[in-house]
Amino acid sequence: MKILVIEDNAELLQDIKNFLEEEGNICEIAPDHKSAYDKIGYFPYDILVVDITLPDGNGLDIIREVKKENIDAGIIIISAKNSVDDKVHGLEIGADDYLIKPFYLAELNARIKALYRRKVYSGNKEIFFNEIKIKPDSHEVFVHDRLLNLTKKEFDIIHFFVVNRHRLLTKEAIAEHLWGDDIEMADSYKFIYTHLANLRRKIAELKGKDYIQSIYSVGYKFTDRE
Amino acid sequence: MNLVRKTNTYYLIFLAFLFPVMIAVDYYFIQYLVNSEVEEILLHERERIDFHLDKEGVLPPSNYLLQSTPIDNGAIRPEKFNDTLIYEAYADKQLPYKIYTFTSSINAQPVKITLRHVLLEIHELIWLLFITTSFVILLLVIGLYFINREIYKWAWNPFFRNLSKLKQYNVTQKESIHLNTSSISEFEELNEVITTLMDQVKKDFQNLKEFNENISHEIQTPLAIIRNKVVLLLESNNLDKKELARVEAVYQETNKLSKIGKALTLISRIENQEFRRLDRVDVHAIIGNILSNMQEIINFKNLNVTTELHPVTIECDHILADILLTNLIKNAVQHNKEGGSINMLLNEDKFEITNTGEISEIATEKLFRRFQRGSSTKDSLGLGLAINQKICDIYGFRLAYDRNEEIHTFSLFFKG
Repeated sequence: MKILVIEDNAELLQDIKNFLEEEGNICEIAPDHKSAYDKIGYFPYDILVVDITLPDGNGLDIIREVKKENIDAGIIIISAKNSVDDKVHGLEIGADDYLIKPFYLAELNARIKALYRRKVYSGNKEIFFNEIKIKPDSHEVFVHDRLLNLTKKEFDIIHFFVVNRHRLLTKEAIAEHLWGDDIEMADSYKFIYTHLANLRRKIAELKGKDYIQSIYSVGYKFTDRE
Repeated sequence: MNLVRKTNTYYLIFLAFLFPVMIAVDYYFIQYLVNSEVEEILLHERERIDFHLDKEGVLPPSNYLLQSTPIDNGAIRPEKFNDTLIYEAYADKQLPYKIYTFTSSINAQPVKITLRHVLLEIHELIWLLFITTSFVILLLVIGLYFINREIYKWAWNPFFRNLSKLKQYNVTQKESIHLNTSSISEFEELNEVITTLMDQVKKDFQNLKEFNENISHEIQTPLAIIRNKVVLLLESNNLDKKELARVEAVYQETNKLSKIGKALTLISRIENQEFRRLDRVDVHAIIGNILSNMQEIINFKNLNVTTELHPVTIECDHILADILLTNLIKNAVQHNKEGGSINMLLNEDKFEITNTGEISEIATEKLFRRFQRGSSTKDSLGLGLAINQKICDIYGFRLAYDRNEEIHTFSLFFKG
């Protein structure tokens, strides 16, 4: 998929670009208002990632412009303006999602993929990882075409893993994905550990391979690579 | 005690001291005057008698003459005044008299002549004067009281109007206050000072707000970058154990910093009253949502949750209500022990949440301050209750904490 990231911080911009490109996307960048307008005018994008505070204007204006021109692109706002008004306002004028800085790149990746799936496949797209099949819409996971019996949080974990395959997911990123910013607490890391153990057991029962790797004490990786 | 009362009290205290002094001075002064008047009358009479004796050689008829007694030549006494009581048959009592005794001679025979003048009416006069004076003073006091009150009302009027304006002043409002002008220069001066001060406060407030906004924006982006780079480092697989531990520490501290930033921003935004919406918030529904979101972690910790929740709506900002209740419930889960219990009670007056947990080392009165946390939970920031306290302050809710050994109870009262 083709993504345009509009963000004024060059370093963050580069990080996002690298991450998304490693995921196999075409990612272009625009550090300001003007170049964003130029790019949107000439090329079609599937997803726009828009920062609200830009040196020469407001990201919300870009969203308005996109909506006015009837450009069919999913829009995700990334902003440090931890203000609910901004969030509500952004979603009102047509943004699809809102992420507050600092966010985990894995989280951004998951949101982009979810948005893309909703837009292009109306949510009916299944996600595959070797013998594992995920139906995000119905919250179902199959191993060798046999349904895994998972709790909601277990589903969330494996979905987050598969969407961010081969990447290091820190415990913090997983906790924030599962509970959001407000509820994450010390117990959640133990919780994640226990649920991963359950998940491993359940997948093993259906003769699935164990793709969950512990990475030091920092986090986990879902991968079939060595 | 307001100003007019205070002044009047001091006036009264002053008058209370002055009044007897004035009366006493008046009394003695009048008495002195009357006395000297009487003495003058008697002296005058003496002169008349002397003159008459000189000329005629007999005592003239006199209303004041009490007695005249011949005396020995050698026994000339000095003249003198006396006060004495003399029995008067017509009044059937003793009356006060002033007596004047002097010596003269009738046909070369020395005589002691005593003159008298009744003091009766004079005493009455003194009393009369005394009462009149008192009355005048009383009128003066009453008059002063009313004049003072009217002056107070009139002269202080602009002051009080400005005062009520200042009471309603809110530093977050955009328009500045226009104070009433006054013809009294002190008030004008005060207005000027207040206006300057308010402008300064407003400017400071704006600066602070901008600072907070900037901090939250400018800090979060670098933090996001640090975090991403650290994850890349961790992903690189080239680190030895020591390096790894350091990078991990950087990662964790970065996360903490980011959370502190967010929490402090939230606190200052609550303090700045940026949440102004008054939604009708269904507390029951919010608690239900939070519980279902935490259900799995509650099961995981094997907590026994019992609830008695009645439908309650309160008026406040929906987001703040959510934060407030989330923090309370999260606390009860986080500081609970494996297999412990949580009891919740919600009714019109309060939301009460009781949980089992270790005995906290923090003194109860310090609990709601920033960065206070129990030693058992190093991962919490110690800002949740400070945030809750701020939210309660806005809406006039009251948050109380009580512990009994290992049972901790937080009560949130919706009405003060």
